[in-house]
Amino acid sequence: MSLAKIFSLSSRVRAAGANTVLVRYASSGKEGQVEKVYPPNIPGYKYVNAVDPIMAFKEMSDRAAQTIFWTELARGFAVTLAHIFKEPATINYPFEKGPLSPRFRGEHALRRYPSGEERCIACKLCEAICPAQAITIEAEERKDGSRRTTRYDIDMTKCIYCGFCQEACPVDAIVEGPNFEFSTETHEELLYNKEKLLSNGDKWESEIASNIRADHLYR
Amino acid sequence: MASLLNVLLRKSANFGQNTALLKNVPAIYNVNSERKAHRWFPDAEYVKQFEGIVIYPEGFTAMMKHPPYNSVIKPGEKNLRNMILNFGPQHPAAHGVLRLVLELDGETVRAADPHIGLLHRGTEKLIEYKTYTQALPYFDRLDYVSMMCNEQCYSLAVEKLLNIDIPLRAKYIRTLFAEITRILNHIMAVGTHALDVGALTPFFWLFEEREKMMEFYERVSGARMHAAYIRPGGVSLDMPLGLMDDIYEFSSKFAERLDEVEDVLTTNRIWVQRTKDIGVVSAQDALNYGFSGVMLRGSGIKWDLRKTQPYDAYHLVDFDVPIGTNGDCYDRYLCRVEEMRQSLRIIEQCLNQMPPGEVKTDDSKLTPPSREEMKTSMEALIHHFKLFTQGYQVPPGSTYTAIEAPKGEFGVYLVSDGGSKPYRCKIKAPGFAHLAALEKIGKNSMLADIVAIIGTLDVVFGEIDR
Amino acid sequence: MSLLALDKWAKLVTIISQNGGIFKSIYKLWRFDTLKWNGKLVGTDSLGNKYYENPYYMLGRSRWVEYNDYVRWDYDATQITPEWYGWLHYKTDRLPHEDPAKYCISCCAWYQKWMLPPEENLSGTELAYYPYSTVRQHIQVWDGKSVCSRPTPCVCK
Repeated sequence: MSLAKIFSLSSRVRAAGANTVLVRYASSGKEGQVEKVYPPNIPGYKYVNAVDPIMAFKEMSDRAAQTIFWTELARGFAVTLAHIFKEPATINYPFEKGPLSPRFRGEHALRRYPSGEERCIACKLCEAICPAQAITIEAEERKDGSRRTTRYDIDMTKCIYCGFCQEACPVDAIVEGPNFEFSTETHEELLYNKEKLLSNGDKWESEIASNIRADHLYR
Repeated sequence: MASLLNVLLRKSANFGQNTALLKNVPAIYNVNSERKAHRWFPDAEYVKQFEGIVIYPEGFTAMMKHPPYNSVIKPGEKNLRNMILNFGPQHPAAHGVLRLVLELDGETVRAADPHIGLLHRGTEKLIEYKTYTQALPYFDRLDYVSMMCNEQCYSLAVEKLLNIDIPLRAKYIRTLFAEITRILNHIMAVGTHALDVGALTPFFWLFEEREKMMEFYERVSGARMHAAYIRPGGVSLDMPLGLMDDIYEFSSKFAERLDEVEDVLTTNRIWVQRTKDIGVVSAQDALNYGFSGVMLRGSGIKWDLRKTQPYDAYHLVDFDVPIGTNGDCYDRYLCRVEEMRQSLRIIEQCLNQMPPGEVKTDDSKLTPPSREEMKTSMEALIHHFKLFTQGYQVPPGSTYTAIEAPKGEFGVYLVSDGGSKPYRCKIKAPGFAHLAALEKIGKNSMLADIVAIIGTLDVVFGEIDR
Repeated sequence: MSLLALDKWAKLVTIISQNGGIFKSIYKLWRFDTLKWNGKLVGTDSLGNKYYENPYYMLGRSRWVEYNDYVRWDYDATQITPEWYGWLHYKTDRLPHEDPAKYCISCCAWYQKWMLPPEENLSGTELAYYPYSTVRQHIQVWDGKSVCSRPTPCVCK
């Protein structure tokens, strides 16, 4: 796009300081004929406020009447008044709740297999991908020879709830559950350890499982 | 009145000799000759004793003249300093953490000095230590009222470095959500602008709509604001069934909500008086100060990156770019409202033209496999592990990729050294240039207009402070 | 009828009678801040909260819960059980017993062995969670005895 095109007439008009007349007419080659020069009619662009007030007597008296009789204010008031009679948009929160989707990323939970065995195998993918470095994992071999975490801490105050951990988890162990009502009174209570996360999973398993089922086609 | 006349007549007698009166016009006003108490004036008899020679008349002293007893004494001048006012960061009209140091002459602003840095988080430096995937959520948090546009810009930059193209459906989804984001942002801009200059009600109506759009965000990505949805190589998940129907239903009704807002604001004399010819930016200044977006278009410059260098699916949809003429707050408001209407047009076209197909590029070295594939295929699992630990390598090079974010030109200058982490990521935030010009726009306006100007600048400190 | 808004008054009387008379309505209004009309009881969860639905209201208000009378004014959003959570949040139109995923879990004896009962947010009470290390101590404080006299450490972990 050339500079000449960017600098429309409007900018030149402004630079010349002649911005009082917005709709401009210029006589074209044929005599007696005038054509509109500004605002230019360029496809893809729309001038929002480029019309000068018409100075015909009727329009002027209309404008004067609007000023005197407050018609535009009255219309505004009427619109506002109409909203009083509409159904309020507020919901009565702890009794009624807003819509959520199965993809909602809320409080973390560690899941178990149906047998009760914890899913997490301490592959540490979530720890690696976590942009906020909120996850700390330590792993040891368990007595039965399987690899499990001994420490799985999430600092919920560092977490940015991006959902990368649940995307990274190859065994669907760490998930961001549907719960968002886990506010606490102290900071310490938000430093979740493995048992807290597992107990979250044990409590929310039915909802988590149904979310995963609802979204399985997209995952 | 009579007293003023009296004073003027009395004092104008010696205008010829003394210019002090002209310099001190208040002195005329402030002399009150109406004294209720009895006042002795030196009468002629009293003055007579001083006529002629009073002290011993000899030589030089004989030539001395006595000054008249009623001569005007030149008042002393004081050094005055304008008041310095700290506007914000706690001021509700400061839009976040703006600290504005205003120099006031009465109520006229003589200088406006915006201070930044109260929300600085070092995003650019942090990104240098994150893989390309991990850097993505940082972009949500830059301009936190137009989240997906920032992600889109970053994703486009990474895609440009990788030299990949994404599936058409992903492009359309991005365009769709970028336009939803644009409405989301303009709702915030217009709503809070009106709120700042005193119209509280449209804010509530608009935020009801904003809530609905955040539900769309939540349904598609899982988070109401910080979506992390648009990723390099496409989008993270396909849209769930029924979402497009709901977006259509929303978009078909939203124009009505805009009409209501326009009924209340556009012709309202209070709104017009507070915004018209306030914060005027000439086209020349807009260019010189590096403006973009509505701030530029409001001054009459036809520049929109969606038109001039279309990205994603913008070349496939039809829309008009609103251009203002006067470059004042009112024109910018009209531009924003019109842009929302044009966004609705784009949304509708995206919904109608939405092609079927993939939403991510099929390069398994770049995008993680689906869950099912990851759990059944060994190769996919290895890719999955590689992508989530090391990320993907981006060939060396640099790019400046800019998109038309709702606030203006949001750009990402990304330098890759061939590793899996960006070597440098410079973020060009549109609000930074706009805020910097506050000194220019706000100079010699009234204090109350500063609020209107901040509202129209549409500053968000997440992106300005980074 | 509609000119005098008599139908609105009739509706108010219906609402009061459906909520169990004037006094019960006042009590409910006090507890729940609102009185609902024509709520259909769709179920009760394990904590005794009752779930109602009336699609007459807009989305967001059409499903609601009446917390167990036992909690009186100490109701909390976290007292809603996970089974009903999705339904109350309009995530699904299926009631817990109609949702196959939830139904399977509630019937499966395996799951019942380890699933925990729902629990409200205990922050601020004595039962609140407090972080502790889940890792066995690798270094112990020396107990003053020689290594030889110490009993062999338990290897059950």
